[in-house]
Amino acid sequence: MSNFKDWALQYVLSDDETAQSEIAKKAAKEIENTRASSASVGSWAASIQPWITITKQDDDNSDDDDDDSGSGDIIARAKALSFLADTLEALDKSLLRPEQVNMVVGFFGAMFSYDHKAGITASAKALRQLYTMKGFKPAVGVKMIEEVCKLKEDFKLQTAATRLEIYELFLSLTQDQSVNNELQDKYGTSGGFIVDILQLCQNERDPRNLMLWFKQLPIFLTEYLTSDQVTEEIFKAFSAYFPITLRNSATPIGITADDLKNAVRACFASHHKVAKLAFPFLVGKLDQGDAITVSVKLDILKTIKACVEQYDNPQASVVLYVNKIWNSLKYEVRNGEVKETIDATLEVLRAIANRLDGTKTQKFDVSLLKNYIDIVVDDCRDDLANPTYTKQAGLLLMTVITTNTRAFTLESAAFVDIIRKNLRQPKSPSHTKDLLLLLNSTLKSRADLFKNRKQGHPEDEEALKTESSAHLVALYHDVYLPTWASKSEETTSEVLKQVVQGLALLATQQTLRPDGQISLLASRSVCSEICSLLTHTLTKGLALSQNDNSADTAVEDEAVLALQSVVATYTDGYAELVDRAKVEIEKRDWTSPSKYTLNALQDILSRLAFIGCSRIPLNIALDDEPPKSFKPLQHFIKLAASMQDLFPLSPLPTSEKESLANSYVISALHGAMLHFRDACFEKFGHKVLEAYSGSDRNWIEDFQGLPKNWLHQLQGENGSSEVVIKEDDPEVYREFLRISLFIVRHLYREAAYGKQAPWSERVFAQVANLAALVVRSLEENLQKSCNLAQNAFNFFFSQDLSSSGPSSLAPFRKLLILGILQGLRPAAMTELYAPQGIAETFMCDTSRMATVLLAVGEIRGTICAVLANKYKGGQSTFDPESETMKRVLSFWGEQLKTAINTDNTDPAIFEVYNTVAMHTIAGACGRQDKNVLSLVPILHEAIASPGPNGAIVARTIGGLIKTNELLTSENHAVVKRFYKQWAYTHFAKPLYDLALPTGDEDTAFAAGRYTIAILSLVSNCPFEVYQEDLPALVRLLITALNNNSCASASNGGDITQPQVATSLEVLVEILSHEPEALMGHLKAIITAGMKTYEEAAAQNTNKVLARNLAAARKLTLQLLGAIPKKFEERHLLPYALPMQRMLAMASGDKSREARKVALLARENWAKISA
Amino acid sequence: MAKSDFDNANPTVLSVSQLPSRSQVKGHVRKGPDSKYDHILFPKQWWAGSSLNSDPSVWTSDEDEDDDLALATEEPIDEQEIYDLLSTISDPEHPVTLGQIAVVRLDDIHLSPSPAERLDPNTLTNVEVDLTPTVNHCSLATVIGLAVRVRLENALPPNYRIIVRMKDGSHAQDDQVNKQLGDKERVAAALENDTLKGIIEKMLETCV
Repeated sequence: MSNFKDWALQYVLSDDETAQSEIAKKAAKEIENTRASSASVGSWAASIQPWITITKQDDDNSDDDDDDSGSGDIIARAKALSFLADTLEALDKSLLRPEQVNMVVGFFGAMFSYDHKAGITASAKALRQLYTMKGFKPAVGVKMIEEVCKLKEDFKLQTAATRLEIYELFLSLTQDQSVNNELQDKYGTSGGFIVDILQLCQNERDPRNLMLWFKQLPIFLTEYLTSDQVTEEIFKAFSAYFPITLRNSATPIGITADDLKNAVRACFASHHKVAKLAFPFLVGKLDQGDAITVSVKLDILKTIKACVEQYDNPQASVVLYVNKIWNSLKYEVRNGEVKETIDATLEVLRAIANRLDGTKTQKFDVSLLKNYIDIVVDDCRDDLANPTYTKQAGLLLMTVITTNTRAFTLESAAFVDIIRKNLRQPKSPSHTKDLLLLLNSTLKSRADLFKNRKQGHPEDEEALKTESSAHLVALYHDVYLPTWASKSEETTSEVLKQVVQGLALLATQQTLRPDGQISLLASRSVCSEICSLLTHTLTKGLALSQNDNSADTAVEDEAVLALQSVVATYTDGYAELVDRAKVEIEKRDWTSPSKYTLNALQDILSRLAFIGCSRIPLNIALDDEPPKSFKPLQHFIKLAASMQDLFPLSPLPTSEKESLANSYVISALHGAMLHFRDACFEKFGHKVLEAYSGSDRNWIEDFQGLPKNWLHQLQGENGSSEVVIKEDDPEVYREFLRISLFIVRHLYREAAYGKQAPWSERVFAQVANLAALVVRSLEENLQKSCNLAQNAFNFFFSQDLSSSGPSSLAPFRKLLILGILQGLRPAAMTELYAPQGIAETFMCDTSRMATVLLAVGEIRGTICAVLANKYKGGQSTFDPESETMKRVLSFWGEQLKTAINTDNTDPAIFEVYNTVAMHTIAGACGRQDKNVLSLVPILHEAIASPGPNGAIVARTIGGLIKTNELLTSENHAVVKRFYKQWAYTHFAKPLYDLALPTGDEDTAFAAGRYTIAILSLVSNCPFEVYQEDLPALVRLLITALNNNSCASASNGGDITQPQVATSLEVLVEILSHEPEALMGHLKAIITAGMKTYEEAAAQNTNKVLARNLAAARKLTLQLLGAIPKKFEERHLLPYALPMQRMLAMASGDKSREARKVALLARENWAKISA
Repeated sequence: MAKSDFDNANPTVLSVSQLPSRSQVKGHVRKGPDSKYDHILFPKQWWAGSSLNSDPSVWTSDEDEDDDLALATEEPIDEQEIYDLLSTISDPEHPVTLGQIAVVRLDDIHLSPSPAERLDPNTLTNVEVDLTPTVNHCSLATVIGLAVRVRLENALPPNYRIIVRMKDGSHAQDDQVNKQLGDKERVAAALENDTLKGIIEKMLETCV
């Protein structure tokens, strides 16, 4: 058995923790081997005797053992004890018999009486191990606590880590029910052990230990029956720490001030028996007034809230203190200035109201809640009449009353009554505004309570059924209407806005009928009156004249929002609104309207579309009426039918301006579709159509059997032949698309073969945009089954009718084709690309080119771009050989070649040719069609050819990679990610070498043209694309600036001026991305810039040219002004003086825009001092 | 800071929207809840497609609405522009601008010859700015005057002669202050003073 002695010695001598634990394990094994025979346990315990005995002598010799002489022994002794503790840790927990456990506990327990220096850590650890042993008996636990408490004053001399062990031990023991019972038996309510522990642990400061201590204290409160005296002691133990803070420490410990705050808060809220101490304590702290900071105040308020919410038996704990809490808290809101404190206070008040109401399962007696609200009402009533406190008092009242359904049904009538009385004699407009705001907030809270009724107690829902709501309905006649009618100079627009909001809230209030059905709170007549009042606000703009200033946009906008929510529930309101507006609009003559009237028309139509179509209406009955027919799309149909009636407002417009009224009608339709689409996406998500991917109905065919006024029929009550769709069925969106497509079809047919007079290019463009929206929203199958690709060219007539062909149409009607094509998916268009099919014919059509306007050429070109872009050939398509696009591109190659080589092509006509060709190639470029590459030599040759047509090609070649707004992924276009790089590499890169000036007369001309082409391409590329060619590019740019005078623009060379502007733009871009590339050329750039500015300052009477010159000046100043920000001062010193002089002159520039830029440039250069 | 540290602790402060500004009302501005899609529904150009042609006037019928042409219109420097240069200078005491406390007023800025008469931009032009201190014993009047002067010298072309004065009777010692501000040598000397220069730079920081 001497093994134990050796091990003990080894353990004491070792400093390595792993070695120590190995030794402990060996010892444990040995005890286990002997099945914990008394002998082995005895000799194990005796193995540390050498150290213990010496200790005794030491202690005997000198009480005040000085640390120097004794420290070695203390350390050895501590280690020896740890040997035992570690062995216990490693030992099989079921091995020791109860009497052995008892004995070892006795041994270690004694340490707390005798060995405060060396024994505590190891003993505490050993005791925790013993607690977990099978042989542990609850009575031993009591003994442990008693022994540990003997440490007394010396507890605080222990290290934090040792104290932590003891806290852990206490926590383990007190959480053990059997030990608890033993303790309760022994000590009863006097709780002697609690007092001992409290005394032991007072003055704890270590955050980690405190976290355990704050966990321990609630256990005393919740697990033991304690006398008032003990309870008070426990309360003192944690309340002494309140409010707790944490000093910033250099070594992070993983505990934050908030952790501590929460822990203390949990102590306060742990048991209702401290209520009588906690509330007065906390309220007392709060009442210290200015002496406490906001964060402390928040801490107190949150703690009070936690107590209110968590104490059991609120009748006994909370109710008694409600008065006290209220009397203190009300001032926090009434006179408070800090938002956080006010919010936290309101939270407490709300928590009290909820607590007094009861729990989700059990309601308390109504008197509890009623008494509380009465106190609040009594205190706040008078303040409502005082403008200074109206807002605050109202906030208090409203918070309490709208906390829960019961409070609301009990007291809302009284509250509303007080506000109403005050509103009759308001002290000032802002007083009125505040009172209205309160009323509106109350209504809003009611709506929220109603919406969340299912989550509360079932009684609440019952209460809503029997709720008296007369006082709310009466608000319209008693409050809102009189305030609105008494519009005087004093009523500010703020007040009117509140009235409008209130009306909307009132009209949308819902109520529960006794049979459980939901209906509107207000009657039909009230809803209707509200609607017409708001409608009048919107339509009156049409009747006013320009000089009439009574229109208030802010109130009108509020009315729009109000109507939006009103007609979503009171659905009849929208028809009334639209009809009224229609009558007002039809009253007027729209042949030559003033700008002001047109604006009014634009406003009213845009608002109508927004009000009715930005939300899907709800099917809610009116209280006194049986359910009526309801369609989720009824507002949209109403608007569409009415717009159909209104168009054209101006049947014979003679100018673009006069046709504006017509275009506004189309815009309203388009707007309605956009808003309704958004509403559907919001309700059903963006993938709403995915469920229908298999659908292949031909809607267009269905439409053929329908009359023109189908939309009007749909509106009628008898439209019941249609399938009934509920408002929350995603089918709504599909039905919306179907009706929209009907509208598109109707408009296209009218535009193509109806009366032509009302259709200006603006209206065409508007219809085309609308069609694009509808078409691109359809999924592929529907686009195919409705045969939209064909219909784009037929305008929805059957093939035979359009025998005259689209080419005979008025030129701008081509926009209609574009409208549909731009929304189609490539897969839905393949049949167009059959050899010699529609697409090829269209793209290669050069008839009447000579007679069309450039703008028409642009539109035609854009159609070609879309067609070229969405082309799909190959197996199982209509173009199995993939030859169509090849033919089209080579056709245009030939066309360009011929036009360039025969000098007699008029540049004006060539420009149209070139536009269509460039667009077609550009469309193919987006797809990176390799057939495009065959055009590279042709285009390069064309650029260098003498004659003005070459210049046109050079100038417009950038169009190949110009970002086209119609070719986007939203429009299902095929745009490869790196197509700009691709095109740049093939079209621009080979030109750099050729563009450099050689001094040779012959090549100089071509070099100039190549420079123009490079600039045209580069200016349409992002910086990264041309980054690697910077050295060559910068040289070209400077040459371009130096060789071309932008003033010479008027001398016939219409190329030079835009080129200067482009060069400047590219330089600005380079300067912002990679200024180092310009470093070597600073002198040249500054000189060229100064020269350009001087030239651009010349007078010019041509408006367009003058604008270009001003733009060039502005760009130059931008470039020069940005230089000082990018380079170090030493590089700029030589230029500072001349630049400052030049910029001083430039700050007197003719154009104000340019002066602004000059001023900035001047500031930047002023910092460079010579 | 105690109240007594200020010459005028409580100046009347105007809000920025109350200050005179170049009227921005161009056409019909719509901001309501229904205007979310105005850029699609009421485009400036009737067709928004990509165009090879750089001249946007092809797509607008109404010349007044063409913003680009605004750049070409000649707009000589006028009183409002001078006001805009000065009104954003900060007050040395309060965190407000000179415009907001009406030290600089549009009515007290005079150009001669007036912008309408000035056909050649290089004509020698006098700019007279009369300042109104918030209280008539304001000790910072000279500093404010100096800042106004520096701002104008930095922003106006060389053919503008700048005269900064206190408005008649607005300051107890306006003669002295005016003399100081009018004396080139003294102005130059003042700007040699680092403290003064620091104050003025701080005041001009808010200028845009």
